[in-house]
Amino acid sequence: MTRKQKTEVAVFWSFRLMAAAVVGILAWILGFLIIKGAGVVSWEFFTEMPSDGMTSGGILSAIVGTLCLTVGSIIFAFPIGVMSGIYTTEYAPNNFVVKFIRVMTNNLSGIPSIIFGLFGMTLFVNTLGFGDSILAGSLTLGLLALPIVIRTTEEALKAIPDMYRNGSRALGATKLQTIRKVILPMAMPNIVTGLILAVGRVSGETAPILFTVAAYFLPSLPTSIFDQVMALPYHLYVLATSGTDLEASRPMAYGTALVLIIIVLIINISATLLRGYFGKKLK
Amino acid sequence: MNIITAKDVNFYYGDFHAIKGVSIEIEKNTVTAFIGPSGCGKSTFLRLINRMNDLIDGSRLTGEITVEGENIYRKGINVDMLRAKVGMVFQKPNPFPKSIFENVAYGLRIAGVRDRVYIEETVENSLRGAALWDEVKDKLKKSAFELSGGQQQRLCIARALAVKPRIILMDEPASALDPLSTSKIEDLIYSLKNDYTIVIVTHNMQQAARVSDKTAFFYLGELIEYDDTRKMFTKPQKEATQNYITGRFG
Amino acid sequence: MKHTDSEVKKLKNYHIEMWNLVQEQIDKSFAALKNNDKEAAREVISRERMVNAQELVVDHHCEDFIAMFSPVAIDLRFVISLIKITNNLERIGDFAKGIATFVIEQQSKAIDAKLSEELSLDKMMENARDMLTLAREALIEEDTALCRRVLMMDDLMDDINRNAPQVLGRHIQAHPETAEEMIRLYSLIRRIERIGDRTSNIAEEIVFYVDAKELRHQKKL
Repeated sequence: MTRKQKTEVAVFWSFRLMAAAVVGILAWILGFLIIKGAGVVSWEFFTEMPSDGMTSGGILSAIVGTLCLTVGSIIFAFPIGVMSGIYTTEYAPNNFVVKFIRVMTNNLSGIPSIIFGLFGMTLFVNTLGFGDSILAGSLTLGLLALPIVIRTTEEALKAIPDMYRNGSRALGATKLQTIRKVILPMAMPNIVTGLILAVGRVSGETAPILFTVAAYFLPSLPTSIFDQVMALPYHLYVLATSGTDLEASRPMAYGTALVLIIIVLIINISATLLRGYFGKKLK
Repeated sequence: MNIITAKDVNFYYGDFHAIKGVSIEIEKNTVTAFIGPSGCGKSTFLRLINRMNDLIDGSRLTGEITVEGENIYRKGINVDMLRAKVGMVFQKPNPFPKSIFENVAYGLRIAGVRDRVYIEETVENSLRGAALWDEVKDKLKKSAFELSGGQQQRLCIARALAVKPRIILMDEPASALDPLSTSKIEDLIYSLKNDYTIVIVTHNMQQAARVSDKTAFFYLGELIEYDDTRKMFTKPQKEATQNYITGRFG
Repeated sequence: MKHTDSEVKKLKNYHIEMWNLVQEQIDKSFAALKNNDKEAAREVISRERMVNAQELVVDHHCEDFIAMFSPVAIDLRFVISLIKITNNLERIGDFAKGIATFVIEQQSKAIDAKLSEELSLDKMMENARDMLTLAREALIEEDTALCRRVLMMDDLMDDINRNAPQVLGRHIQAHPETAEEMIRLYSLIRRIERIGDRTSNIAEEIVFYVDAKELRHQKKL
């Protein structure tokens, strides 16, 4: 083997090792959670309310709460995010104001989530008077998801070559018709992928819901959007740090973590699958 | 009869003076070729005829262009209607990610046509007009992306025909195609002139000579010479034209 | 039909028009010679301009075809041979005019039947006419066998031409006063012989063109 070939092999193996390490870490976390948490996961774990000071029973109310908050944040972030993205890429002139908006959008996604939580508390809970509620929590989480949705929408739209816009305009289509009938259908796979990734992110957030919706212990299901709910990440936090009997609730904490991570994984995998499905439909 | 008339047209991209005082008259049911080196303004001028340059920020026009006697740059004109009347085929085939049928029906649907029978008839006629019907009649529901490059380009021509334009502008329609597909497109252009007026921009001098009745030579934003293609390719009047078409440029 | 093909067909039609004119000129001039018909001869001379004009038309279209279609292979051979054939046809037209001029200026009476017989003049004219007709057919049918026949027929023209000085010489010895007339007659015979030569050239051009065609047919097998 020549020197050159040796270097080649060495570098190649170090790359392979790094990639394997990434997978390894994920496998480690998953394995750790499965070993520690699988014991408590049962049918009852999903279908029953927490009981006995959260040392037994299930986590149904937290699962339902997280689902409500996720769906609520999508309903808020998706239309606004997609429309803003369309505006900045398709309509707005490429001037200073739009560039400023774009920079600000990027900055928004860099703001720590606890700040969103405090902002949500001030605006939605207090000023607008929604109180600690699903509505306030969803809006706060939606704000957090918004920059991601806008960014992915912009990227998805920019990735579509101008020849499709020109082709449509040259046939006498208006700008709106062109966006609706040609551009959006082509961009949708990427937009949806971005949206689902945003959902994956917000469903695991604790800080924004801390002051806006999350209940410490609430063994009942919500009946309106003005109700408080439990949520998986916050429930996990409570079980791990401030339960009534930390030692007794530890297995419950691992079980909750396992469920949360599986939900996030399912969301991410479905994003990949959906993308493939849309991609195939377009070809 | 002249279907397109341009009078002393100047066009600017920002500070760049792209078209300099071009006047030209294009007759109905003819094929006119715009030739010239890259950046000579031929494509820019072509796009002035259906106002595609409007989509570019900071552009400005002086002078007058009329299509069927109507000044297309007058205030209050419906540009989308104009573009339905003046169709365009681009350099790269750009079918939409839809079925073959829906690609051709697209122009009708956005114009608000709902009559299914009419749409079906028009799609068939347009595909026949673009010499594509026999190749696709059994797979109209299939995606347009399954067609070859040459077929996609003919589909784009069919798509333009479906909205019943008077004029079809073609911006180097065969430059991305193999020789066989190119020759099919050229034959198609030649046959289309019975029903349409065609203006084609091309880098390929032989193509201009083969398909066109009239040829216009652009250089540095100016229209240098405009005459019968036969005359342009046998006895051009200007030295610049002679140098360009004989490949002795510069 | 492909655009190029329709253009080739158009070119061929202009060219056939040229054939029609030249063949008519030859027929008329031969008839005028035979019958000492000065009226017909004058007509031939006045129509010569049409032949020249038609040559320009065909050349012009050939030029356009080359400029606009950049022909290659079979199409290129076709247009090159067409230009050459047209040129030969024009020269044949000139000979018809020359014969007509002879009729008007030098002929006082019809050529003596016995002399004509000895010179095989009728046979020569008939042969020249047949060669032209055959060559035209060869072009239209793209048939090289016909071309070979045309080339063989030219041998007869050469034989008659070679034989002529002997016959005319004997005639001059017998009738010294006709010496000038006989010399003029010889130049006429030379002209008719040249028609044969030109037609042979045409036949060769057709072979040049059709050979490329045959290449195409072979490929199909």
